[in-house]
Amino acid sequence: MPSEDTKERINKAVEVGRTILHYGWIPLIIYIGFTRSNPKPELFKLISPLA
Amino acid sequence: MASHSVFDKDTLPSPNVHSTPIVPSYFNPVSPFFNAYDRFTRWRQDLGLPYPGSVENTQKEVKATHLTNYIFDGARADLTKNLSFDPLFQLTHSFVLGSSVQPASYSLGVTFARENLFLQGTMDHEGSVNARFNHGWTANNIFKAQAQLSQQAGHNMIQLEHDFIGTDYHLNFKAVNPSPADGSGVYIGSYLQSITKNLALGVESLYQRAAQGSDLANSYLAKVTSTDKTWIATAQVQPQGVLQATYWQKLSEKVEVAADLQVINAPTRRDAIATLGARYDFRAAQFRAQVDSTGKVSALLEQRFVPAFAFLVSGEIDHFKNQAKVGVGIMIESSSLSPEEMAALAAQQQSPQL
Repeated sequence: MPSEDTKERINKAVEVGRTILHYGWIPLIIYIGFTRSNPKPELFKLISPLA
Repeated sequence: MASHSVFDKDTLPSPNVHSTPIVPSYFNPVSPFFNAYDRFTRWRQDLGLPYPGSVENTQKEVKATHLTNYIFDGARADLTKNLSFDPLFQLTHSFVLGSSVQPASYSLGVTFARENLFLQGTMDHEGSVNARFNHGWTANNIFKAQAQLSQQAGHNMIQLEHDFIGTDYHLNFKAVNPSPADGSGVYIGSYLQSITKNLALGVESLYQRAAQGSDLANSYLAKVTSTDKTWIATAQVQPQGVLQATYWQKLSEKVEVAADLQVINAPTRRDAIATLGARYDFRAAQFRAQVDSTGKVSALLEQRFVPAFAFLVSGEIDHFKNQAKVGVGIMIESSSLSPEEMAALAAQQQSPQL
């Protein structure tokens, strides 16, 4: 059983990871999709909902 | 080298028994166990049992026929933009308005998929994110992760999952909200095995671990598939006295019907719900109709006017409560590629060596 100190540190690390995932997930997929797509889409078409 | 000749003598090829070729290796001391395992595997392969599907998907056909998962009310619009087809990359803008069960909302969805990788994210206007990640290590070894992240505390969820797909079985492990600090969380293991060509039996164990104590619950299921796969019957017994039985039949190329019976026989509640539904697949439309024993009659029509534009109408009447719901929706798909680029892509796919 880890000590209270370690537990607190683990919880803090989980919280930081969760925040990164929360704000980074969608940008990450857009970045991966934008760079790996074939052919590479134009940035304007990516952000505009009508184009 | 003397040991190899001994093994060679033992594994002389006989006409009826499969032989295992012996190669000199560090595993020779334990090879009798490996040989026994190989023989067991071959014997199992010789039975020729079919793959039964996963425990989670035992009712997949019924769920695809019934409209419980598809019905909506109010107005909705889905604008999908395909930015690339190989790898698949698409953005979806979804709008929901005037629904009685959820407030008006906007959500942005992004999907990226490759042969063995699937990434999906959905973010709504309040900032909640749904994330999905699937990765296939090999064709029959798949890792899945799913997370719900929101600003409000207590609404976060993470689920880690691993699937082992065998020739005649499916094994799945799941961990919901596992805590690395104290090991609390919900752990689910499920196993479905084909017993004969038509019958598959499975078990699902749910282990809940918390600071106050732990709890284990088992549910058992059986699935019968006809030899030509035109009908499937399933039954599942869950703890606390819940029995669910389903039947699905493909009547023709275009018509599927499904029935579902759920019986709850708990000390606090005794109830039963039966649902009957049908699905018609036409060339440019899909129609679902459903009636259940709680007095609800519902229908959903999905009409594709052109491949990129679909129109949806759904309706539900609750005869016992005297309530009705109506929904209309549109789905528009567009591609960022120009017609020339599409033609070039099609030509590229037809002759990959160029």
